[in-house]
Amino acid sequence: MNNIKMKIVRPVMLWLFRQLGSDILDAETGAVISRALLVPWRGRILILGTVPDLVPVFQPEARMVQWKRTLGFTCHPAPDFPHEPRS
Amino acid sequence: MSRVLSLVLAHQPAVQIQQLLRWWSDYSSLDSLLIAYGGTEENFRSLPDVPRMFIDDARLKGKDLQREKQSYGGIWRATAKFLSEPANRDFSHIYFAEYDHLPVVRDIHCKLLERMQVEQADVLAHHLRRVDGTANPFYLNHIADPAFRPFWRKISRRTDKTTVLQMMGSASFWTREAFIQTANQPEEIKVYLELFLPSVAHHLGFRLRDLKEQNECVRHAPFEYLSVKYARQRGNWAVHPIKKLT
Repeated sequence: MNNIKMKIVRPVMLWLFRQLGSDILDAETGAVISRALLVPWRGRILILGTVPDLVPVFQPEARMVQWKRTLGFTCHPAPDFPHEPRS
Repeated sequence: MSRVLSLVLAHQPAVQIQQLLRWWSDYSSLDSLLIAYGGTEENFRSLPDVPRMFIDDARLKGKDLQREKQSYGGIWRATAKFLSEPANRDFSHIYFAEYDHLPVVRDIHCKLLERMQVEQADVLAHHLRRVDGTANPFYLNHIADPAFRPFWRKISRRTDKTTVLQMMGSASFWTREAFIQTANQPEEIKVYLELFLPSVAHHLGFRLRDLKEQNECVRHAPFEYLSVKYARQRGNWAVHPIKKLT
């Protein structure tokens, strides 16, 4: 049963999510980072599809209005933390 | 003077281990190679006469390794003990590799040492990335455990105690100090090895760097034309996964 799920159901569902979904752009660079189906569901947003390690970020708004916010996505930069010796 | 210990995790019967040793003998002196054996005790007894240790750790084995949060803690602790023996005190670095992660260039240790020097790093890893606050499925699964975030706050020497890193578990390159200190960190909570090892090293103050272009032929799953030959042609130092040695 698990084999059928992995070999047939999963790829079909992922294909469907890609077809129905939209490109996800990096909120900082504008580059396409993934494609997924975003579905509002019970006060939350479901992200359907295989996506990279997205970080949700609210977008700056040049014109302030009370009725609209844009939630975008970005990714963390590659880890580049310094060596911190034991103090 | 640097001396690299090649630490190879395997679980196959003796015949396949013999093949694996033949492969590795082109890339590492066999007296600098240590087999961490995760197979049965019976098979372990019939292994060729090379430095080897039997890893008796229930968290190393499982059917669904990611969801069961597989751990390499047993391997790290056993290796730390091995390194503490007088004959092994001159190992300055440890190159860990799973059996299906194969070196493909003869000077791989030199290349890794050089990269470590350039990056001023304590650990080099494949597909290293920061996953806290992201949609990473491993991270999201782990933060469902209420003990997860307090654990990092407790052990961290960093100002930001929320950072969680992930690396690919198939191979990594460590300084002796980073390896031993990570091995000595008690596993107070269950964390999948791909998160636990790099995150512990990071919070203990060590610097981790990604192997960048060397990730091309190191994948979770093989792609159609992935092979030793392809990896060499593309300038890769290692390849994963290669399940059958030819």
